[in-house]
Amino acid sequence: MIEVKNLRKVFRIHQKPPGLLASVRSLFRREYVDKVAVAGADFSVGEGEIVGMIGANGAGKTTLVKMLSGIVHPTSGEARVLGYNPWDKHNDLRRQISLIMGQKAQLWWDLPGADCFELLREIYQIPRPEYESNLKRLTEMLQVEDELNTQIRRLSLGERMKMELIAALLHSPRVVYLDEPTIGLDITTQKAVRDFLLSYRQDHAPAMILTSHYMEDIERLCERIIIIREGELVYDGNLKRVIHEYAPYKQLTVHLNRAETAAVDKDYLERIGKVMEEKAGTIILRIPRDQVTSAAAEILRKFSVQDLSIADPEISEIIELIMGGNEKPQR
Amino acid sequence: MNPALFLHLMSIESRRLLSYRVDFWITMILTLIVQLVVIWALWTAIFAESGKDIVAGWDLQGILAYGVFVFLTGRVVRGGDLQMAVATEIYDGSLSRFLVYPCNYCFTKYAQQLGNIFPDIFQSVLMALLIIPFMESSTTVDLNLTGILMCLPSIFCAHLLFFMMGLLPQMVAFWADNVWSLSVMMRMVTMLIGGATFPLSLFPDSMQSVLYMLPFRYLFEFPTLVLLGKVGIEEWITGIVSCLIWCGFFLLLLIPVWRRGTLRYTGVGI
Ligand SMILES: Nc1ncnc2c1ncn2[C@@H]1O[C@H](COP(=O)(O)OP(=O)(O)OP(=O)(O)O)[C@@H](O)[C@H]1O
Ligand SMILES: [Mg+2]
Repeated sequence: MIEVKNLRKVFRIHQKPPGLLASVRSLFRREYVDKVAVAGADFSVGEGEIVGMIGANGAGKTTLVKMLSGIVHPTSGEARVLGYNPWDKHNDLRRQISLIMGQKAQLWWDLPGADCFELLREIYQIPRPEYESNLKRLTEMLQVEDELNTQIRRLSLGERMKMELIAALLHSPRVVYLDEPTIGLDITTQKAVRDFLLSYRQDHAPAMILTSHYMEDIERLCERIIIIREGELVYDGNLKRVIHEYAPYKQLTVHLNRAETAAVDKDYLERIGKVMEEKAGTIILRIPRDQVTSAAAEILRKFSVQDLSIADPEISEIIELIMGGNEKPQR
Repeated sequence: MNPALFLHLMSIESRRLLSYRVDFWITMILTLIVQLVVIWALWTAIFAESGKDIVAGWDLQGILAYGVFVFLTGRVVRGGDLQMAVATEIYDGSLSRFLVYPCNYCFTKYAQQLGNIFPDIFQSVLMALLIIPFMESSTTVDLNLTGILMCLPSIFCAHLLFFMMGLLPQMVAFWADNVWSLSVMMRMVTMLIGGATFPLSLFPDSMQSVLYMLPFRYLFEFPTLVLLGKVGIEEWITGIVSCLIWCGFFLLLLIPVWRRGTLRYTGVGI
């Protein structure tokens, strides 16, 4: 449903130097710097798929989403969304897509939700019965029936976000872009939003691209992730597999018996694996995957162990490594 | 764009204007009072100084009537506070959401602008009814029903033309950050050479011939002259047609500018 080939966006930024003299000078000679926001993206998203897009601030996620929703023209490259070129802004395409920006209010500020939805009904030309039933289902699911007649600007952030979600899904879009839909929401509301999105997927099987800085969102919603670093796609694949591909180690946590606590030889531990933590009888070690079993056996032999566990590192940790450019793929 | 949406946007704007804006009335009344005082003081002085009864086809009462009615019609033509809305939306990136909707952005803006026209007409008529009893009769103007009926379509056309001419400098916002000063300048020039301060017949002859070829006079002077019974039916028809031709001209100009602008648009601020 979404196909992206070598999509690039370079922003040309006019440098505004500080100081009066410098700004007068810049009136005559402008200096530009090129900022590569997206450096050649290639991927595709299928029906019913929620792809999580992860990256540090300024990595280019929003820019990518803006291009795919047709707001911004790319510098080069191609994209096809439902067979259309998104920046041609064809109405047949625009009727089938939706964009949610968590950081920016999109609904009419002065109108109550109910009026906004009514306007959207006309913009998208949704047949009345379909509109009524969609609206009823969506408002019930997000429990905002009581806020429908309040002006958007008087709603709380979370309530407004729910309205934005309803507004975005009223016309049953087949492609949905969600740019940080859960930003600033409390845990319950975040969960409500996630459940809501999952149920929408179940009913409509849209292609969704979701960006978020909350790992919880990604882990609950996405099977597949795309990691983007300084405009480049550095990982595109299964969320669970990212651990196996990028984490060459496992984490070994050992709780020692009280008597042993004093007698731990740090140098000895360092020889087994990388010591992450060592205090009050608890030792956390990072050990290469293939040596985990032997290391565990040795520790059990050497110390009097109360409890021992072996686990994969947190996904968020791995992703952080990849985002920061410190990954060592195990190949 | 479907008519239902157009009407809906219009009615929202009208209701907004009528319901929750006290300043809608206050600013109107205050600016009107200022305008009345200024034109009265100015023209009485000018006529006293010149010693003539009629200047360029206007007597004192006539030119005062012009001052009042060009203000009232001009308000309708200029519409509400949307004059900078497009530039602002380009500048702060809120244009983005409209680009995702399957409808024409400029049409939605026009619907809103047109939503202004009915509250504005209502208000102007009300003010006119308050002022007319105090006006003395003039030999050079003739306010009657025909004039009023002919004035309405002229106002609609002028309103459309003003909207389209206003869009052009606003779209400069795609290229430059600060179009506010440009718009203010354009507005002042437009008001002056469109006859919003005094009729064009008071300009020197050489300037007049140029000004009559430009579109600006159809914004303010023309509807007011029509209202004051100074335009014959034939001239009225040519006036309206020329106004619409100018609208077409600006439309042809706007389309490529919009295309190129959206091509450059970066949707800042998200
Ligand atoms: N309109 C613009 N004009 C110039 N540069 C821009 C513009 N929008 C974004 N950029 C630059 O492009 C880069 C990518 O920005 P983008 O908004 O896509 O990041 P992001 O991944 O969404 O970050 P965040 O997580 O902070 O939202 C940034 O370095 C930013 O400075
Ligand atoms: Mg972003």
